[in-house]
Amino acid sequence: MINFQVSLKVLSNTQVRFVVIGGAAASAHGLPHLTYDLDICYDRSRDNINRLASALEPFHPRLRGVVNHLPFFLDAATIANGMNFTLTTDLGDIDLLGEVTGIGGYEEAKKLSVNLVLFGLECAVLSLDGLIQSKRATGRPKDLLTLPEIEALREIGARVKLESRLGETQNHDSVTGKRGEPEPSD
Amino acid sequence: MTKEDRDKLIRLISSPPAGSKIAAAKEFGADLTLLVSALELTPTERLERLADAQEFVRDWQAAMKTSAHD
Repeated sequence: MINFQVSLKVLSNTQVRFVVIGGAAASAHGLPHLTYDLDICYDRSRDNINRLASALEPFHPRLRGVVNHLPFFLDAATIANGMNFTLTTDLGDIDLLGEVTGIGGYEEAKKLSVNLVLFGLECAVLSLDGLIQSKRATGRPKDLLTLPEIEALREIGARVKLESRLGETQNHDSVTGKRGEPEPSD
Repeated sequence: MTKEDRDKLIRLISSPPAGSKIAAAKEFGADLTLLVSALELTPTERLERLADAQEFVRDWQAAMKTSAHD
C-alpha cells in the first residue's frame, strides 16, 4: 500500500526533483495494472539529495525486505553513498532510483517524461516511450509481460488522437490529452 | 473523452488493424476493454482507482488470514 497523494505532496512541497516511473507511471497513463509502491527516479545532485532525505525522514524510511535489527538510517550521506533504495515508510513502499535501466539518471528520465497533474500537483511522469524503453532494457519477464499493453496504449493514442491533443507534453495526459484536474485558483 | 472518441476507441480495440501493436496485445491476451474505462479517467482518478484496488487486496488478504485461523 502506498499513499500516492501524500507521498507526491511531500516530495513536491520539499521541491525534490524527481520523475515518477514504474507501475505508478504506467497506471497514471492508463495501464490497468496493480502496483504496490511508488518508484521515483531522483536527481543525484547534493541539494536534491538533501531535500529528498529531509522529505522522507518524518516518515521513518527503512530498507524493505531486511530484518529490522539491521541498522539503517536514510540521511543525505546514505543516499549519496548509494544509488537505488527499496524503502518502506509510514506512507507505504517507495523505491528511490538514481539510475533507471535503459534510461539513465534523472536528466535522461526527465527528458523522457511528460508533466501530468496528479492530485493537484504538476509531476514529471515517465512517458509511455520511456516506459517501453526501460522495460525492454530490463528484459525481466514481469516487465516484458506488460510491454504489449503499453505499446498498444501508445498506438491507441496515435491512432485515435483523442481530443486531438496527443503529443502535447505539458500538463496533459499523453494519451487522452486530458488534464489531471482544473488549475487551482489563487 | 467525447462519445465519438469513445466509440472510435471501442471500434479500434474490437477490430484492430492487422499487424498493429493493438492487434498484438489482443493476441497476447490483454483485455484492452480495461483501457477504455481507464482512459476515461484523469491521471489522478487512475491513481485513486489503483489505491482502491490496493486497499481491496489488503482487505481480502486480511479476511483470508482471519478465515484461515477460524
